[in-house]
Amino acid sequence: MSVKAKQVIIAVLGLVFLASLILVQWMEVIRRREEAGLAPHRVAIPVSSMSCVKCHQQSSPGIIDHWKGSTHAVKGVGCVECHQAQKDDVDAFDHYGATIATIVTPRDCSRCHKTEFTEFVNSHHALAGNILASLDNRLAETVEGARVPFNPHSPTPGRDDATMVNGMASVNVGCKQCHGSKVALEASDGSLITVDELKPDENGKPTNPEAVAAVRRDADGRPLLHESSWPNTGIGRINLDGSRGSCSACHSRHDFSPRRARQPENCGKCHLGPDHPQKEIYEESKHGVAYRDLREHMNLNAHEWVLGKDYTQAPTCATCHMSGHSRNGGRVTHDPGERISWTNRPPVSLVMDTDAEGRVIKETDPAKRREQIASSWQEKREAMKQVCLHCHTKNYVNAFYKQYDDFVINYNEKFAKPGQKIMAGLREQKLITPAQFDEEIEWTWFYLWHHEGRRARHGASMMAPDYAHWHGMYEVAERFYMELIPQAREIAEHAAESGQSDQAAAVLALIDEVLARPEHQWFEQEKKAREGSNEAANDSADNASE
Amino acid sequence: MTDEHLPDRPSGDDRRGFLKNTATVAMAGGLVAGYGSFVAIAGRFLYPAHHDNGQWQFVTTTDRLQMGHSLAFITPSGAKVVVARQGEGDEAENFIALSSVCPHLGCQVHWEAFRNRFFCPCHNGVFDPQGVAIAGPPAAAGQRLKRFALMVQDGLLFIQVPTETVAGPESETQTA
Amino acid sequence: MGRVAEWFAERVPISGLELRELTNEPVPNHLKRWWFCLGGTPAYLFVVQIFTGILLAFYYQPAPNTAYESVRFITEDAAFGWYLRSLHKWGATLMIAAVILHQMRVYFTAAYRRPRELNWVIGMCLLMATLLTGFTGYSLVFEQLSYWGATVAANISDAVPVVGHVAKRMLLAGDAYNALTLPRFYILHAAVLPTTIILLLVVHISFIRLHGITELDDGAASQEAGHYDFFPDHLLTEIIIGLVLMILLSVLATVLPAMMGPKADPLVTPEEIKPEWFFYVSFRWLKLFSLSFAVLSTGFIIGAMFLWPWIDAALRKITRNEDISVYIGILATLTLIGLTVWEALATH
Repeated sequence: MSVKAKQVIIAVLGLVFLASLILVQWMEVIRRREEAGLAPHRVAIPVSSMSCVKCHQQSSPGIIDHWKGSTHAVKGVGCVECHQAQKDDVDAFDHYGATIATIVTPRDCSRCHKTEFTEFVNSHHALAGNILASLDNRLAETVEGARVPFNPHSPTPGRDDATMVNGMASVNVGCKQCHGSKVALEASDGSLITVDELKPDENGKPTNPEAVAAVRRDADGRPLLHESSWPNTGIGRINLDGSRGSCSACHSRHDFSPRRARQPENCGKCHLGPDHPQKEIYEESKHGVAYRDLREHMNLNAHEWVLGKDYTQAPTCATCHMSGHSRNGGRVTHDPGERISWTNRPPVSLVMDTDAEGRVIKETDPAKRREQIASSWQEKREAMKQVCLHCHTKNYVNAFYKQYDDFVINYNEKFAKPGQKIMAGLREQKLITPAQFDEEIEWTWFYLWHHEGRRARHGASMMAPDYAHWHGMYEVAERFYMELIPQAREIAEHAAESGQSDQAAAVLALIDEVLARPEHQWFEQEKKAREGSNEAANDSADNASE
Repeated sequence: MTDEHLPDRPSGDDRRGFLKNTATVAMAGGLVAGYGSFVAIAGRFLYPAHHDNGQWQFVTTTDRLQMGHSLAFITPSGAKVVVARQGEGDEAENFIALSSVCPHLGCQVHWEAFRNRFFCPCHNGVFDPQGVAIAGPPAAAGQRLKRFALMVQDGLLFIQVPTETVAGPESETQTA
Repeated sequence: MGRVAEWFAERVPISGLELRELTNEPVPNHLKRWWFCLGGTPAYLFVVQIFTGILLAFYYQPAPNTAYESVRFITEDAAFGWYLRSLHKWGATLMIAAVILHQMRVYFTAAYRRPRELNWVIGMCLLMATLLTGFTGYSLVFEQLSYWGATVAANISDAVPVVGHVAKRMLLAGDAYNALTLPRFYILHAAVLPTTIILLLVVHISFIRLHGITELDDGAASQEAGHYDFFPDHLLTEIIIGLVLMILLSVLATVLPAMMGPKADPLVTPEEIKPEWFFYVSFRWLKLFSLSFAVLSTGFIIGAMFLWPWIDAALRKITRNEDISVYIGILATLTLIGLTVWEALATH
């Protein structure tokens, strides 16, 4: 091969080499474009939190690592921004030169997240703490535990320190972890200091200096939070500054992940179990099935996560009840009640006409009722339908709501209202004590509406047929016919035997009136017919003997 | 490459010499095109890919920065920035963020509210509220205090500052 | 122009003619066949490795808690990092392949015979240095496979009698992989071994120049006997080879870029450990025999390879067969290929 030929070959190969490098350049450009949105955000520790991070990286790395994964960290919101407190806050203490508080309340979060705070405060979620003072709570406080500490009746081997039993244990671990505690500081005299004693003003500052002075502090000057109230991330927590709720109930600290809040598992901490299995109902429904299958495609990491824009594959709890969608301009709400038209929580379902404070209106007089309504159930239903319409046609949605309404009203009218009436009758006639849960029929009634009745209604509301029927209405019916009615009659008959014949007659009449209704007639029709002929025979026999 | 050595062998035929030169030039061109762009790629690799143009960092909520007041924001790399409100309203243009490092010799300037000016005590440098030097050595040199971009979102004030430190950036995969 | 040339001529007192005289060794015509240019190939690839290696070293950080992240940075964040890293990886593969092919060519053409025995030995040293460079380089990525590969290799070294334990401790900077191991691998890979290779190459090439390139004395070559100029003719051949290699590397780097396995985890041994392909032979050998036998036999085989020029001479004398080495070579080659393929296909 001649030198010249070789030179030409080199020229050609040089250009081929160039071409291969152009290919490389092209791949680099594609790669850059692909990675443009995926580039990990850089986290710079804000100077204000530098020393916090330094120390806690060693002592509690989980907190720091979670925080580093948060949007807060990316935007330079560090420890101090949330935990900061003023000297006149009752739970403030000096922590290596910074005045901070342990519990970050919704009021603290509202410094930046104003809209979310307002929506949340007006939601039913924020009122969850009210249950602690309600009759419902008698179950955990008295029935399951005891309102006062009591002596153990025998030693616990190896635990000589167990000299007193905390009867409120079930409340602290059960009720309060979902409903929220009333945050309490220990007083030097051993009593508890809560929002009731502190009487905070509208800025959350305590107005009762005596209560503040009574707070017990440890050697470092840190106020002692009582274990009955902390740790607690219940959604209706009643905080020392008077604010209600806990944002970390759904937005787990310290990464406050929106992605997590979008997933049904997040709600499932509380919304599950025998009395309101929303999570299980959802999982059984076509919605939950689709979610399980398609969650990888649901863009859960999206910045805004707008239904119809970022995803359409399946709804989660958040999708229907809270998240923004393409038909409302992507507006998220932190009041999950905004799109709910029935409340299935009470024994008898009520429509969600709410007053200015977000409370369900119980007024029966139509005129007065109209006056009180700030937001009607129709508005709420319309808001929900806007979500449904992303995947279903108008006719489909309307027909679904017809099915659902009919189901709830059937439950209300056939079992809930009669049951309520019979229970009220028994109490009115003083055939049962005013105390809850000390008679079998009270447990029966509780199971009927609080467990089975809710299961049925929730099952219908979220399209889980098995919960609507077998776990729901079937059990409601069995409880009603085979337990509630016989037990009520037994109480009445027992009362008649012990001389309370008037009261007994009143209750029996009530029961008969209920059972005489067309929807209940089937139950004793044949029995009655048979008994009727027997009685007629007896009567004629009696008459004959006379 | 070493092509200048190649054609100096005397050749009787001009045409042959021309062809040979053409081949030599083509070869040189091919080599430069190939290896040249390879070296360019190497240079691109060495040139820092990441520009620290800054990242939006939270400063404060707008309602906590009152008219005529300022606060000191310290960037993650330790530089002090004075953030002040210049007008009522919640828009970014009502705020200003100025580096408190004097452009003259790097001393720390401070805000003198009663004179409505920034003052550098080292050489009596004076800056107006916009950070433009109006007296002292920096004014003579036509300098100004470095200004940082600000942004307001839902009542939250953000500043764009460099976030890289010697310790290196902490790359975190965000949860959302 | 003339003054510039003068200025240079005065300070670099060598003329083009003298330079040609110095470098221009007559090249035997058989080198016009590409097969005989394999010696230049690893040298060229070595230059590519040095070039890309220096570039990678700008970003690489040899410490257990930064190594993997810095390789990730090179691969994912730096501009063209993935390409340069892939070039380096494929360059290593091709370089080792080229060294082995070059050695086989020398072997089968019996170019190692008197008086070139010593250059064969230096070539063997170059092979060892190249393999070691490949091994240490692979370990630098600090991914699961390379971490466990290094651990296994160190423990194999431990099985070598007498010096093994010391060698292992020297390699790992301790009794096991520790924080000081990676810097050690790094400095071996990036400084000690390349320098060694350069020095050996200088001697290797000087020997070639001193002895002259082997003249083939078989019938085929004698037909095309004669010589041509190294410069520019053979140099152009080498440039062509270099460009073909660059294109090949570029294509390999874009089509099969270097990936990253999971980060090294000292607590979890991967299900399947495989070394780099050039160690498949010894890896399979280890699985076939007990550790001490495998190590001893490997040492014996390597020793025999080093001393082959003299063993070959002795064998020829004993068997009176001039081609005995060729037969042994074919057998050995088949064994090597067989073991490599076996290991490549076997899962365990």
